[in-house]
Amino acid sequence: MQDLYSKNKDRILSVKDLPTLPTVLEEVSELVENPDSSTDQIAKAISQDQVLSAKVLKMVNSPIYGFPRRISTIQHALVLLGFNVIKGLIISTSVFEAMTEAMHGLWEHSLGCALASAAIARQAGFKDPEEYSVAGLLHDLGKVVTIVQLPEIKEELDDLVQEKDISYYDAEKEILGFSHDRINAWISDYWNLPLKLREGLVWHHRPKSAQHHPDVACVVHLGNFMTRLFQVGSGGDDNVSYLHGYVFKVLKLKQSHLENIMDELDREFSQLSGFTPNQD
Amino acid sequence: MNTGKHFFLISGNSSLYQSFKDTYPQAQWTVFEHGAGAIELIFNNPPDLLIVDSKLPDLESRELITIFKSENVYRQIPVIICLDRDDLGPDLNLTELEVDDFLMKPLDSLLTSMRLDLVLARAAWELDANPLTKLPGNTSIIHKIQDMMDKKQDFALAYADLDNFKSYNDKYGFSRGDEILMMTARIVVNTIRAFSGIESFVGHIGGDDFVFMVPPDQAESACRILIRNFDAIVPNFYDQEDRHRGLIRSTDRQGRIVDFPMMSVSIAVVFNKGGELSHYGQASEIAMNLKKIAKKKAGSNYVLDRRKSS
Repeated sequence: MQDLYSKNKDRILSVKDLPTLPTVLEEVSELVENPDSSTDQIAKAISQDQVLSAKVLKMVNSPIYGFPRRISTIQHALVLLGFNVIKGLIISTSVFEAMTEAMHGLWEHSLGCALASAAIARQAGFKDPEEYSVAGLLHDLGKVVTIVQLPEIKEELDDLVQEKDISYYDAEKEILGFSHDRINAWISDYWNLPLKLREGLVWHHRPKSAQHHPDVACVVHLGNFMTRLFQVGSGGDDNVSYLHGYVFKVLKLKQSHLENIMDELDREFSQLSGFTPNQD
Repeated sequence: MNTGKHFFLISGNSSLYQSFKDTYPQAQWTVFEHGAGAIELIFNNPPDLLIVDSKLPDLESRELITIFKSENVYRQIPVIICLDRDDLGPDLNLTELEVDDFLMKPLDSLLTSMRLDLVLARAAWELDANPLTKLPGNTSIIHKIQDMMDKKQDFALAYADLDNFKSYNDKYGFSRGDEILMMTARIVVNTIRAFSGIESFVGHIGGDDFVFMVPPDQAESACRILIRNFDAIVPNFYDQEDRHRGLIRSTDRQGRIVDFPMMSVSIAVVFNKGGELSHYGQASEIAMNLKKIAKKKAGSNYVLDRRKSS
């Protein structure tokens, strides 16, 4: 088992390139071709796609720029990388050769979690809701990496979820020996992502373990729960995730706050339906 | 190109000297037949380029190059070694020798002239670029400004520096300070470059001092955007507690708690319209006085030169 574990870990970490879905990529490609596009417009578009956002943050936090682990929002990353670099990055991004319904579900789930995390951070009165939104967007990046690096295992996972009616998280543990939160930890370290993002990505299933930024882990934990509750996209199974009462203590949220968040998400999520392109 | 540059050739081979002279007549050539005798003169009066024949009558050419390149004050002077076919082989390690380039005998005239141009240009970039940010340094900055003045082109010249950079360095250390400079350089470059289709320039004077040049009518919006970007991004570079407080708290030598504000950027902008400025010194003097005004105000600020209210 240990052997298989390290073999899979090596395959995960040998990730060279992440493709994405065409929806946002096409929009961003058009924006970067147009000299009149503003940084804000481009940032907003990139913030809709977990893979593009991850690529941008990986680049701006790479040691060559000289300030690893400092930048956690797309807006800031674009200011620091500049138009040329972004254009190059967009040009070199490919799309998946075969796209499945499950992938569209995962992208929509991640965007839903980004919106939910931002709404929760605002209700909790945090200064930079943008950072929480990014953590929410990237919280299932480990699942994307599995699709790319371990495609045959991805199929096994889906089958196991169906067969035993367990969560994707438990299926990952059973087949891989680790879950996407562990993959997130490896990727965050490998790409020099800021600690605050790392804590949200790594501890969104176990918020009590977040030592440095429990607030982010709790926001993403609750955001993930809300997204599943509203059935926005799919995180790989159709269960509603377990909700730790601990998050309400950390975020100092009361019943009335929760109602506000749900009202807001009800509105925002209803506008999301156009996101899934294959609705036939 | 490179007229009047001083090139030294160390070679006992007079036909090699002749073909260098024929190939690159615009340089001022000095030839030494013996290596040993040349050393003192080279040390006292270093050339713009040193070319060493691999076959010297007295001294081992590699030894001469090592003596020269191992001194920090001469290191930046480019050295080319001139090789014969029979020099090539596993024993020849040019990286270890620290030469900047090589040429093969007999010289190919066209190739040699291109190579010499490139070696000199590369040495100039490397010498002047800021070692941290790789932005053009003082020599290029002064050249650029003087060139614009000589051409009587209108421009706005902005001097930007950081407030409270020192207290940040004191608390977080120099390598965190370098992160700030790298970040600032990227913000300045991208902010200025976003004004597309115009002639712009960004340089790094040193430390936390940067300059940039834009057309006069773009200066104010460039300053505003630069400040907005800097103020938004700089909190990411503080530890959580300082970031939440919005200031740096440290203890001085007497054990007292001292607070310093977060870093901000001060910008002074000098305009040159209708060729009113003729010398680089004038521009920098005006800018330094404006900078004092910008520095007096708390937080990020810019001050525009209003000598002639338009």
